[in-house]
Amino acid sequence: MGLAFKEETFRDDYTYRNSLDAIRRFPFPFPEDKYMYSVNIEPHVKGKPGSVLEFPLDIDEHYVSECRDKAITLARDPGRYASLPHMMDAQWDVLELIMESLSRDYPEQFKLTKDGNRWTWQNLPLGIENTFTFGDRSSLPMEPFEYVGRQIQGDWVILDQREGTLFADAGIVTSQADWSLAFDVGMSWHQWHAPVPRATEIGVMDRALKFMMNLQLGEPVRRLNWTMTLNPRLDTSPENYPLWGPDRNHITLDNAGDRVHLRVELQTLFRLPRSNGIVFSIRCYLISLNELATYPRWAKRFHRILKDLHPDLLEYKGLTKFHATAVEWLSRYDDGAPLDIGTHPE
Amino acid sequence: MERGYRIRSKPNYETLVWKEKASAHVVVAKGAGGMAVLQLFQQMHPVQPVTVFYVRGDSTDKDYSQTLTKLVGDELQVFDTQMEALYAFYRRLPDMKMGTRFYVSGTESFIWSLCKLAALFDIQESEIVKQLSNSLSRPVYCVHCKATTPNVTTNIVACSKCSRKLFVRDHFSRHLGAYMGLMIDAENPGEVPAIEEIYP
Repeated sequence: MGLAFKEETFRDDYTYRNSLDAIRRFPFPFPEDKYMYSVNIEPHVKGKPGSVLEFPLDIDEHYVSECRDKAITLARDPGRYASLPHMMDAQWDVLELIMESLSRDYPEQFKLTKDGNRWTWQNLPLGIENTFTFGDRSSLPMEPFEYVGRQIQGDWVILDQREGTLFADAGIVTSQADWSLAFDVGMSWHQWHAPVPRATEIGVMDRALKFMMNLQLGEPVRRLNWTMTLNPRLDTSPENYPLWGPDRNHITLDNAGDRVHLRVELQTLFRLPRSNGIVFSIRCYLISLNELATYPRWAKRFHRILKDLHPDLLEYKGLTKFHATAVEWLSRYDDGAPLDIGTHPE
Repeated sequence: MERGYRIRSKPNYETLVWKEKASAHVVVAKGAGGMAVLQLFQQMHPVQPVTVFYVRGDSTDKDYSQTLTKLVGDELQVFDTQMEALYAFYRRLPDMKMGTRFYVSGTESFIWSLCKLAALFDIQESEIVKQLSNSLSRPVYCVHCKATTPNVTTNIVACSKCSRKLFVRDHFSRHLGAYMGLMIDAENPGEVPAIEEIYP
């Protein structure tokens, strides 16, 4: 398949845009007019050709620029990568998962050849080639999880399963919706979800944990989550909140279409074979309201979701300041007529 | 805070009670935390080896060193500063045997400074009994410059390193031994709400 990688930025001049194809395949997350947290986990099975679910790990037109943005974030704050000492087996598990998936599903871009434990990895879009010994840390220029994590879109967290729960003991996190890896690393499941409002009360976190602890090898699962971001910025970290927080003061009806973005996370979870850990991939897709309204059905649906969102969620997702403006902007697409169930664009 | 909403990352503390099946006991306390140690020795003086590290209370804190000296005897070591006590504790860690149980009493900054040292020797948090004493003051980690400001008693505090005004969040990291501090006026520079003592 042909993949044309775009030259674009996720900071400063924000030249990130979606092509018509990218808009069409956007993982719109709202099948109904109402939204509340739910476990909403489903098997991560193959989706339609061309969709973000066609392959276990999706590579799209933003791949090269997104990896470049990740490198900038890591250079400025090395703490975006962290791994506790007992996670080395799991690191190799993740390297294997990513290299095997990419070379199998995108053979024109990524090549993996194995001669026993001697592996050669070629990443053509990023111009990277290394021969290394699988399992030997010293044969790579950096830890295996960081090495491979820099060459894949999205954030990755490795969970260690022990003491009846999951611990976030390693991560490479540069495109997060306002949570800090440096702060959360080493936390148990319930500890790192502590700030999520209402979730404890409705029992979502207990049920999700139970489900994940039983995750089987070869049977990955997925769910969608969402928030909103101003400007197509990947690095909306608490670390850099002073850089992006003030954007909330400058949203008007005139600029909302360009600046306000729906941010959808495709979250996938894979059991790891050697370490029995779980790798949690959080892949971020950004779409401006203008791009979203290419399909008026989506704008109409999103208007209803946003208009009736629970106040706690508005606060938690950081939407309070520009919520009314975004709702008003979207309202022009909503004639009030019923919408059938489903996330399809047309 | 919303009623009925419990912060699940916030540690709960307990009352120090001897773990009678332990092979040895190590007690570490600071200032007013000495009261918890006195209470432990009211329960009993255990048959297993005991070591007590105590940091003398300063002018802002209570000092129980004299009473402890009488009650505990040779198994007590008294220090003038937290740094000295934690260093002595750290130096002893390699000699400690399987089955040793740990007891700590002091402010949260003190308790978690000790837990971080213990973690270097694979001592699990569950092996350390923790009693909060004297103050609710919090250690606060600046998410922007990564420094930790100890013993914060207010809802908003100036970071001890970068001076940003930090809002003290109800989110606690055991790994860092601190609550998260997030710049309060990042969106509107200079707009800082009233600073109030809420962790006296």
